[in-house]
Amino acid sequence: MKLATIGVGNAGTKVLDRMLEFENATNRNLCRHAMAINTARTDLAKPDYVPADRRVLIGDTHQKAKGHGVGGDVEVGADVAKTDIEEIRRAFDDVEIHDVDAILVCAGLGGGTGSGAGPVVIDELQKMYDEPVYGLGVLPGKYEGGRPALNAARSLQSFVTKVDNFIGFDNDAWRARDQTIEEGYDEMNEELATRIVTLLAAGEKDDTDVAENVMDSSDIMRTLDTGGVSSIGYAASPVDEQKGLLSRFASNGEEFNADEATDATKIKGLVRRAVNSRLTIQCEVSSADRVLVVISGPPETFARKGLEASRQWLEQKADTVEVLAGDDPRENATELAAVVLLSNVTKTPRIDEIQSQAVDAQNKIRELDAVREQEIEELITDENDELDPVV
Amino acid sequence: MKFALVGVGGAGGRIVDRLRREEKAAGGSFSNGSLLAFDTTRAAFEQYDQIPLDRHVLVGDTHPEIRGEGVDGDVELAVSVAREDRDELHREFDKLELHELDAVVVVAGLGGGTGGGVGGVIVESLQTLTDAPVYGLVVLPDESEPERTALNAARSLQSFVRFTDGVVVFDNDSWHDDAQGTLAERYDELNGHLTKRVLAVLALGELADAEIAENTLDSSDLMKTLGTGGVSVIGHAEITLESGGGLLSRLLSPFRNGTEDEPTETLAMRTQDLIKRAATRRLTVSCSIDSADRAFLVLSGPPAECSRKGFESGRFWLEAQTDAAEVFAGDDPRPNASVVSASILFANVTDVPRIEALKQRAVAAQREDR
Repeated sequence: MKLATIGVGNAGTKVLDRMLEFENATNRNLCRHAMAINTARTDLAKPDYVPADRRVLIGDTHQKAKGHGVGGDVEVGADVAKTDIEEIRRAFDDVEIHDVDAILVCAGLGGGTGSGAGPVVIDELQKMYDEPVYGLGVLPGKYEGGRPALNAARSLQSFVTKVDNFIGFDNDAWRARDQTIEEGYDEMNEELATRIVTLLAAGEKDDTDVAENVMDSSDIMRTLDTGGVSSIGYAASPVDEQKGLLSRFASNGEEFNADEATDATKIKGLVRRAVNSRLTIQCEVSSADRVLVVISGPPETFARKGLEASRQWLEQKADTVEVLAGDDPRENATELAAVVLLSNVTKTPRIDEIQSQAVDAQNKIRELDAVREQEIEELITDENDELDPVV
Repeated sequence: MKFALVGVGGAGGRIVDRLRREEKAAGGSFSNGSLLAFDTTRAAFEQYDQIPLDRHVLVGDTHPEIRGEGVDGDVELAVSVAREDRDELHREFDKLELHELDAVVVVAGLGGGTGGGVGGVIVESLQTLTDAPVYGLVVLPDESEPERTALNAARSLQSFVRFTDGVVVFDNDSWHDDAQGTLAERYDELNGHLTKRVLAVLALGELADAEIAENTLDSSDLMKTLGTGGVSVIGHAEITLESGGGLLSRLLSPFRNGTEDEPTETLAMRTQDLIKRAATRRLTVSCSIDSADRAFLVLSGPPAECSRKGFESGRFWLEAQTDAAEVFAGDDPRPNASVVSASILFANVTDVPRIEALKQRAVAAQREDR
């Protein structure tokens, strides 16, 4: 697939940057156009791969933002984007839309910019282009607390209604005991970038002479066509170079069948691992509407039987007949990877949790708002009101 | 956040002078020299070495009862001369580059006549002079100071709270004990505690060695936190890292009780513990943090010394303790720092026994006067 990818807010921009880095490192060419939109000048200075002329600062003249963020306030984030909609539109004019199959908007949903400006950006893209617009949303972790959960719960509604598919990523999924803050975010973004790029870049080489099992962009788009929330599973194992070489030489010999069998087992095992290990967002696999599996790696490690067996296993596991399977040949890849897209999963415990955290937070915010003025007055005045202010 | 510093009275001027000195020493750029110092006592200006002469504003020097000699704690007199000179005072604000700044911070000791009185008129005036938020940074008097200081403070605190977007309070009484020397002898020391805390929070991201954080806190986050209005306090705790690298210090508990064989503390535990200590140790005014409306947490230090898990669970603990729905938290990476610190701004705390005591003393002092 060929994408125009737009990162909105700090988290969205970081994810985009990591995607570009991963593409670069693995000779993929997914994001034909990359753009970062943010309300904080400092955050826009961060990306290593998003070109400087593709970083758009919005809200620098907005009374409440002034180029230093929106204070985690989703309302302000949305307002800033609406106010600067002309600027955003002009930036989109540079997108050579005939070169891309779809648009991907990446955003963190816990803060104010991604959650608020993200849906405004998506609205505009949907108006301007016929191509599908997908969302990639990072959901706040449990420990990030009430306000991020409230932002995310509200923003998720907007995202899911407006995009053609929303790929969810749970911040807590890659929380590890001994990470520093820096490592924590790095690892998380790297894991996310690996999954999304491996999935969406499959079939980007539509013009190469390819075997029949090769994944096509239209298969991916068809799977995403369900709308709703999707989750991605991933597993990889290093390619045994010796073996790869040997099997190439032996492809006409007797060892072929044995190798084919091992490769098939290996692929099936990888696909199982991809689904059973950490998904980008935890869900009941059986609640998926459509499923797609891509095997990415050196072509000599592919096995048609393995792919077919995986497809059947997924049909059963996801309880759907709509399972597409294909290969993504990468000549020089050092790993064999399986990536599984579970499209429109409807049972996602973390989203339920965020929603209940959000309701609590909203109630608390309203309670505090209601008593604030009175409590301040009580603090500064005496009981019988004998003391007068000096001014 | 970038902010202008306006010092009013002796205590306010000294703190502004100190903040500016720290700003320069850290290669920072939060005020960029947007400073003003107001006083009714000509001699007060002599003690400043960071506030340029053209930023010294003597109020009421032609008033027969003042003549540059101060108001002697008479807050009413201070208010009336400040009002008489109001147009002149307004012109002074043209010297501040307000369009380049996010906010104005008015610093004053509220026990004296000038800080509370002239300060009160200034915060009132600033309402019409700028659209930027105006914050107060005020010092409450120690119990050893005369009763009248309590009355001045209780009354001017009302004005500061009503006319500003939020007041950060430092209470001398929470920090001073006569056994450690007289209050005047300890000004420098107390102002050191105050400026360290204020800078950790308000000047976040504006100091020279600041790197871009993973979890950035922007000025907007800070302004949102303070935007509740009311009284805010700051908590702070730090750990000095052992020289020779982080690994050693990571293995050593900050509470080493002599033996080397104590169970080692993980980085996650230490980070969380640091945040807890910042919230539970001496605050700029002692108060119940569960009455806070919002909180703002900064974890500052070398990135290798800041655990993600410790930071997140510390932040979660803070949200539970304060029972606040809005807790902003971020890191402030300082690769070369020799300390790791946690600083927390608690916005709009409403259960503050020290302020209750101050009001009682004020009421008593007022009844005595009449």
